[in-house]
Amino acid sequence: MKQNRHNHVRLPAAILAVLGLSTVSASAMHIAEGYLPKVWAFGWMAVCIPFVAAGFLSIRKKVERSPKAKVLLAMCGAFAFVLSALKLPSISGSCSHPTGVGLGAILFGPTATTVLGLIVLLFQALLLAHGGLTTLGANLFSMAIVGPLVSWGVYRGLKKAGAKPAVAVFCAAALGDLLTYVTTSFQLGVVYGNITEYLTIFAVTQIPLAIAEGLLTVVVFNVLEKYSAAELRELSVL
Amino acid sequence: MGTDRYAYLSRLRRVDPVAKVWTALAVLLLCLFSESIAVGLVTLVVMGVLNMALGGQRPGTVLHFMKVPLAFLVIGCLTIVLRPLGAEEPALWAVWLFGRFRWGISGAYLRMGLMVFCKAMGAISAMYFLALNTPMTDLVLALERLHVPKLLVELMELIYRFIFVLMDAAGRIRVAQESRLGYGSFRKSLDHMGDLVSLVFLRAWRKGDKVYTALESRGYDGSLTTLSAAYTGGARVYAWGAAAIALQAAALLVERRLLT
Repeated sequence: MKQNRHNHVRLPAAILAVLGLSTVSASAMHIAEGYLPKVWAFGWMAVCIPFVAAGFLSIRKKVERSPKAKVLLAMCGAFAFVLSALKLPSISGSCSHPTGVGLGAILFGPTATTVLGLIVLLFQALLLAHGGLTTLGANLFSMAIVGPLVSWGVYRGLKKAGAKPAVAVFCAAALGDLLTYVTTSFQLGVVYGNITEYLTIFAVTQIPLAIAEGLLTVVVFNVLEKYSAAELRELSVL
Repeated sequence: MGTDRYAYLSRLRRVDPVAKVWTALAVLLLCLFSESIAVGLVTLVVMGVLNMALGGQRPGTVLHFMKVPLAFLVIGCLTIVLRPLGAEEPALWAVWLFGRFRWGISGAYLRMGLMVFCKAMGAISAMYFLALNTPMTDLVLALERLHVPKLLVELMELIYRFIFVLMDAAGRIRVAQESRLGYGSFRKSLDHMGDLVSLVFLRAWRKGDKVYTALESRGYDGSLTTLSAAYTGGARVYAWGAAAIALQAAALLVERRLLT
């Protein structure tokens, strides 16, 4: 009898612990300041440089063509920051934060997303202590380079293959989200030699979140298509 | 929002931001490069104290912000400490899972986990010395003086301003939705969240349009020029930074001496 009562307590406790992990992981997607050893911290920065340079040049070209692009790009960057601060409804009832990786990549293209991501990540590190200065390179690589490139590639590929727009948007957002976490797990695991551990933690917590974010992005896209076709055409998404 | 609220109240607010950038970065990098428990703890304490003594931040504020990255660090360091071991590997504590996998804690990895935790806490403390004493607008202007490309600096200035505009819009929409029984079930929350996100995007786009029109009617020629505020010299901050670095170096030497 006594044993039984213990089990009654233990099962909900275990479930709560797992759910707790999934809320924690929202801030855990940014690698904290000082967590990476120096070689990796600076190595990831070096890897990011060509991508940031390419993004910067493409933005400069856009701005030279029309000065209005600067203001609109800045609005998009601020939108990305605000998006990451919103609470995403999650199946477990708890909340997490959307990454906005997929939406950003589809709307603004992967090169502009990289530069905007750099600024947004810097603000997040300094204002909210999500991420850090020395881990900026690693975070930038997973969230503003790999994720957007995957999302954009999947979206373009599926659209060309003639998939329904909703399917393309869902796959792009969910896969971009997942690949971001896989990259983060890899970045963390490769340092201390325990990639599988991180992958299992992230698999449990992130797959539901990736699906939720995919669904959310579809809803957002439907509304945008209905009410702001003109703006989307200006962004050359449609 | 976040650290910015406190940065505007800091006593170091008028001090040259470039001095704060270099000081914080030097202390941070030394903490990162020394990879030692003692240096991490010394950095954590010294920069925390400097934040309170020089910047005039309340201890509660500093502690509150130190807690933010804690969740990540605890999980991250636990996965370093607790790991699969070979059957014969010496361990402080180990357990057989399903009779096949041996998981446990070994002395070397326990020390490594502790080192990473202390190093990260020290580095975070150093970063807060910058974040809690420098408003973002000052920091962005300082970046321009450090030869960050003009276009990037302008984008940062604009984004920083627009964040508050959009946050405000998002907050209002959220209140309006919730007061009309929004976010009831998972399905509904997805729909309502989608409405919110797309509306904020639309607002952002139209606001951008309006801002551009307003700028252009006031003679905008493609760049925003602002004057930076008058700053007092950073000699005092540099001096305290040098003292912090000396303490870090002393901690490193003492630790090396004790370990060998």
